[in-house]
Amino acid sequence: VDIPYTTEIRPDTGLTNPKLGIWLFLASEVMLFGSLFSSYALLRSGAPAWPDQSAVLSVPLATLNTLILISSSVTMVLAWVQLKAGSVARYRVFMALTLLLGAGFIAVKAVEYADKLSHGLVPATNNFLGLYFAMTGLHALHVAGGMVVNAYLLGPGLRMWRAEPARFTNRVEVAGIYWHFVDVVWIFLFPVLYLL
Amino acid sequence: VIGVRRYLAIFGALLGLTAATVAVSLLPLPAAPAVALGLAIAAAKAALVVMFFMHLKGERPMVLWPLALTAVLCAALFALILWTEADHI
Repeated sequence: VDIPYTTEIRPDTGLTNPKLGIWLFLASEVMLFGSLFSSYALLRSGAPAWPDQSAVLSVPLATLNTLILISSSVTMVLAWVQLKAGSVARYRVFMALTLLLGAGFIAVKAVEYADKLSHGLVPATNNFLGLYFAMTGLHALHVAGGMVVNAYLLGPGLRMWRAEPARFTNRVEVAGIYWHFVDVVWIFLFPVLYLL
Repeated sequence: VIGVRRYLAIFGALLGLTAATVAVSLLPLPAAPAVALGLAIAAAKAALVVMFFMHLKGERPMVLWPLALTAVLCAALFALILWTEADHI
């Protein structure tokens, strides 16, 4: 099946189809995470007492993960810039770095979870930990999903570059827009769950 | 390559704002200003990522309108929660 408007602009939307598609998907994602953030606001503002979040969780590990995810956004956008410039070799380097940083984020998250669980701190402990595990767990799944797409674009998906370089470049841009969105979610999770 | 320097400048700004949000959380501020400041810094970081890394700056209206609708619906979600908590509903 020939998918229309992957590289040429569709006249009525002024966009390529993947570009419009990813933004509509992300709009639904905003509502998904918005429901969790608003649940957090309701449960916290209605609670007679709330744990000292920065004492329960590790701020240094979360700060490290913030730096990792921000760095991965930069390497992701630079991977796309390299394709725009026609350098597939440099694209590979930046995309591999993005994957590595994503794996680093998950690894730090795993250390955090293991530490909580080993101290008997589970989702059922209190509302805060329930929200913490639900929100960071859903976010980590999004990181893992992005890594699967990025790994495809670095591995077997890269075949498209030779036949249709413009289409492949658009794919990387769209995967990047998703990846940066996952970064944006973490930018809000960090202060809300760890600092405030 | 075009744009690399700008992306690195935004990277620097994001690192600076991350340091700022951690530093501010260590100040002995009352709850309300601490939350306002923390969320304001997060919003600034998010704006940089969305505008430049996600190329929303200069994007077509067909992208901006659904996002504006999403912003309204998301605001309604929070307004309902906050009004409920304030016993206005």
